Amino acid sequence: MYAERFDPALDELLPRGCDNRPVVLSTSGLTKDFKNLRAVDGLDLSVCRGDVFGFLGPNGCGKTTTIRMIFGLTYPTSGYVQVLDHKVPGDRLEALRHLGGFVDDPMFYGNMSARRNLSLLGEMNGEVSRERITEVLEIVGLAERGGSKVGSFSHGMRQRLGIALALIHRPDVIVLDEPTSGLDPQGMKDVRELVRELGKQGTTVFLSSHLLHEVELVCNRAVIMNKGRIVMQGPVSELHPASHAVKVLTGDQTRAWEIIKAMAAPGSVREDEGYITVESGDGFVPEMVRRLVAGDVDILAVVPAIEQGLEDMFLSLTAEANNEPGAGAPPEGMGGVTR
Amino acid sequence: MSAVRREFVKTLFQKRTYIGWAGLFLVPFLITLAFRFSSGGPHDAGGGADAGQMIFEQIRTNGMWVLVAALLALATFLLPLLSSMSGSYTVAGEAENGTLRTMLMQPIRRGTFLMAKWFVANVYVAIGMLLMGVAALIAGGAFFGLHPVTLFSGQTVGVGHALGLTVASYAFVMVGMITVVSLATFFSTLTNSSLTAVAGALVLVIIMQALGAFSVFDFLMPYLFTSHFDAWTNLFRSPVEWAPIIKALINFAVWIVGMTGLAYVRFRKKDILS
Repeated sequence: MYAERFDPALDELLPRGCDNRPVVLSTSGLTKDFKNLRAVDGLDLSVCRGDVFGFLGPNGCGKTTTIRMIFGLTYPTSGYVQVLDHKVPGDRLEALRHLGGFVDDPMFYGNMSARRNLSLLGEMNGEVSRERITEVLEIVGLAERGGSKVGSFSHGMRQRLGIALALIHRPDVIVLDEPTSGLDPQGMKDVRELVRELGKQGTTVFLSSHLLHEVELVCNRAVIMNKGRIVMQGPVSELHPASHAVKVLTGDQTRAWEIIKAMAAPGSVREDEGYITVESGDGFVPEMVRRLVAGDVDILAVVPAIEQGLEDMFLSLTAEANNEPGAGAPPEGMGGVTR
Repeated sequence: MSAVRREFVKTLFQKRTYIGWAGLFLVPFLITLAFRFSSGGPHDAGGGADAGQMIFEQIRTNGMWVLVAALLALATFLLPLLSSMSGSYTVAGEAENGTLRTMLMQPIRRGTFLMAKWFVANVYVAIGMLLMGVAALIAGGAFFGLHPVTLFSGQTVGVGHALGLTVASYAFVMVGMITVVSLATFFSTLTNSSLTAVAGALVLVIIMQALGAFSVFDFLMPYLFTSHFDAWTNLFRSPVEWAPIIKALINFAVWIVGMTGLAYVRFRKKDILS
């Protein structure tokens, strides 16, 4: 068993969110300034019991700074973190008893074995049995290397040991900062499986990643961050918009553009690599074909546009927040998404 | 106590721990061999020049003086160096290795963590000095024999009494080294590089010692802890001259409380970015 079941009595006292589940990790107006740089700017997010929560953003957007504040490593300029009913930094010690995880690369004492590291660090959360150490080493696939000095470990093995340490005291919330970074494909797959399994067993996982498909594969909810601010948060299924766009190729694209633009909703038509791409609704395509034929335009092809992925949306949103030229408008039709 | 035990275990797993201890264990043997196989003394006795001269003159006739000579020779540089290194590793060394964040992500109070590290850093120096004393006793006894000691004031005391005075001298120098450890611990909270912290603390100690060489800075002497390092030689007089010893201990205490307090205040609010 990876994680211990939560305390239902405590959950009764916690605020509710997302489908009436208790909020186990939240930030409120969390802000961090470094001299002239605002690294995190009024961050408000809520992670509910059982979430596998994706924390997405480009490098330097404030993800790691946020995680450091969650663990009480750095002090917020304003705002606070709440872990269950404990505020950080005020009640950091109690909050940490419910948290496990790592920030950046997990680092250990290189002259000690993996087992001794787990024992030394794990006992800070209470007594740790040899059996529990064996169990977590098995979970992360390091059982055979438990006696080896950590100094001889590869980056990937240290990542796994970091996860083992995060699990050892069966915390309510596990915070992982890019846990698949530096792992080989099999290792990445194993870690994702592990994270999914943790979620199934009721452990809440807060997963920072710049790998967008990883979040799509593993997480049920996510935020996208840029320049210290949340640009979007919600269920991953809603972040990933349903698209009914079609691409149209005709013998006279200029005439076709005029006809289609006249009948489509404003902003729903764009030129895309020689095609006219248009967001279609019920009955739109037959009507469009009729009008193009009536306008004496030869239709060469009408094909569904490939659905926009989270990656496209992420790039679009972060470009928009950066005010980059050519940044697309955020896709529409995202009910329930906070922006 | 678990925090202290944890820090001590970490210390025992570091190779440099044993290198430092081995150095302190070997130096008394080197001093003894140098005196055994040569006719002269050291080029510079260091510390209290008069006391040093007398000690080095008497070593060949009495191994008890090897204990004192080792203290006199090492209290000016090697022991402060070791103390600087020990204190500097407390925060900066862990930050450099990235293990500071690993530790502080576990439920431990920062103050407890720092004080446990400070305590163990001092225990490390104390064990080193104990090894140094034991080595000096073995080497001095083996090469020159252990005999009653003639004090600087001319009286002779038995081996047991002299050993007691030597233990008290080592304890006094240890308090001086706690001052250096405290200074280095404070520097350690200001940087993420243990080398910078060692250099910072050691340079300050050397500057203080250098100031002592110029009479123009005499007005500073009462406040600089390094100018009190050799006050222990007053224990080897009868009656013991307590005034300089007490003055030195008060000076050390002020520096220890001041530097450790600053380190504590700084570390409690430090953003851990390593």
